[in-house]
Amino acid sequence: MKSYLGKRIVTAVLCVFLALLFNFIIIHAAPGNPIRILAGTDSVNEEMIAELTQKYGLDQPAYIQFFRYVGNLFKGDMGVSIYTGQPVADEIISKLGPTLLLCLTSSIIALILGTLLGIFCARHVGSALDSFLGSISYLFDSTPSFWLGLMLILVFASTLHLFPTAGMFNVRQNAEGFARVVDVLYHLVLPSTALSLTLIPYYFRIARTSVIQVGNEDFITTLRGAGMREDRIYRKYVFRNAILPVVTVFGIQLAYIVSGSAIVEIVFSWPGMGSYMMTAISRRDYPTLMGIYLVISISVAVMMIVVDVVYTYLDPRISRSEGK
Amino acid sequence: MAILSLRDVSVTYRSSGKEVHAINNISLDVEENESLGIVGESGSGKTTLIMAVLRLLNTKTTDVTGEALLKGEDIFQMTPERLSEIRWTEMAIVFQKALNALSPVHTVGRFIGDIYRVHKPEATKEEIRSVVEETFELVNLPKRIFKLYPHELSGGMLQRVSIAMSLILDPSLLIMDEATTALDVVTQNQILEEIKRLEEQKGITRIMITHDMSVVASSCKKVAVLYAGSLMESGPTEKVLVEPIHPYTQGLVESFPTFKTDTHEPLKSIPGSLPDLANLPAGCVFAPRCPKASDICFNSKPEMKDYPGNRKAACFFAGGSNNE
Repeated sequence: MKSYLGKRIVTAVLCVFLALLFNFIIIHAAPGNPIRILAGTDSVNEEMIAELTQKYGLDQPAYIQFFRYVGNLFKGDMGVSIYTGQPVADEIISKLGPTLLLCLTSSIIALILGTLLGIFCARHVGSALDSFLGSISYLFDSTPSFWLGLMLILVFASTLHLFPTAGMFNVRQNAEGFARVVDVLYHLVLPSTALSLTLIPYYFRIARTSVIQVGNEDFITTLRGAGMREDRIYRKYVFRNAILPVVTVFGIQLAYIVSGSAIVEIVFSWPGMGSYMMTAISRRDYPTLMGIYLVISISVAVMMIVVDVVYTYLDPRISRSEGK
Repeated sequence: MAILSLRDVSVTYRSSGKEVHAINNISLDVEENESLGIVGESGSGKTTLIMAVLRLLNTKTTDVTGEALLKGEDIFQMTPERLSEIRWTEMAIVFQKALNALSPVHTVGRFIGDIYRVHKPEATKEEIRSVVEETFELVNLPKRIFKLYPHELSGGMLQRVSIAMSLILDPSLLIMDEATTALDVVTQNQILEEIKRLEEQKGITRIMITHDMSVVASSCKKVAVLYAGSLMESGPTEKVLVEPIHPYTQGLVESFPTFKTDTHEPLKSIPGSLPDLANLPAGCVFAPRCPKASDICFNSKPEMKDYPGNRKAACFFAGGSNNE
């Protein structure tokens, strides 16, 4: 197990480094220059631009910029945003919380609801409700999340006035303590609904297929033939076996948690990583972008390892053959 | 007294408007301590027949008619509670694919122990463990496999585990569905010998489903030949396999290789293939492939008739009249 984990970590570090390199190349190959964007289009002062370009090291050859960036990373310095002048690390940390809150809530809701619905349909295959939920799942699967978000705002915020239209808390109230928590949760309802609705179909279909598949296995027939009660068979054997693909999907989805919600965040003006990244892209804010991408690739790498480790506990076929 | 009596058992699969007649009016007696081999080519309905007897077919897509008397009690009329009671305590099954007969994420001991617990809910962990380990010893398995997972065992061991699993509650009727087909001949022989020994020791009656004539010849007292869901011939093994009276059995026996032959004649095969079970011929199901078929065979169905030596056959030309 230890050597396996060690190998996985080395591979992950390598992957993160490669991702960093490719991100750097792509960002620098893209048209647009952060200093020009910063300077605007009216009365451009060429002297100032030259000075700023030098200040941010953009006058150096690309490979020197890259090594300088990596060198600074090892010192724990992610650089300073060209646009805001704030340290990138501080900004990312302040944006990470809201994103994790939104994405974790939505993912967990989607995991639970989707899986439960999938299990229900698997046990009532061919029923009217099964076909109905099946069609609904395709409907939400093919609905773009921004449209869903806009519709939710239109119906529940603008027309019914049940929920706020945007943001993470009421800026005017500026509540403290428990009231603050309630306020954030209140603002969380619509965006997490939009995000969950687009995620539920995945869990629904995987859980349904998986439960049906396991339900047809010989060992389930054996248990049935041995007189075990149906609910016990499902509880102890079908679900235990059917959960494996669901865990995989949950892990993969969590890996993209930091970047996956960008569109919903923008629609609901949620102050998270997604909208932060979009702004940084339009400003060609190199240090900010590199920082965001670094966090994303680290989270993907870490989640993949976590999923694999969890898997070794859930599926003895993996732990025993690769463990030791 | 017959331990299992089938009276006029028919099984029809319904799928997308079509009716597939998998088993047609089979009547058969299995006498106590007289192991029965049911032979027939793939698709002849062997597995369907026993799955019907075990009531493990999907009731939504299959119709089962007739009677299956287990010690005089009709299995098809049993309440679900009664059915659960007799399952595994009166009749147990060993499946073809031993690896699939066990849950891949549970240890062998836990799985078998759970089956034991279904019928002995008051048993303690220690009791269960000792019963399971005793049963392992019966089939020459080491005790240590109690804690192993199915993928850690060899094919032969898995088949032994399946057999141990079927014996855990001392059933009086043991059904083996191609239980040794996947094994090499050496292991197959060992296991067959063990089974025969256990049968005598514990007074178990066995039904052996197979397409391997040598397995039947070496381990069953009686044999029943199935073709396209209908019974062709039945009787004592040494008679039926040596001097078959039904043209189908004759073809089946001739198409099987033997070591004793000193001629270099190629093996014969039966020309043609199984009829479409959704569209069975009006007369004898074997008539289209039968070398002896005449008009009567295509127009009316031959009944199972008694022949000397405790044999039965369903053919107008069986017995004396076919020796032209």
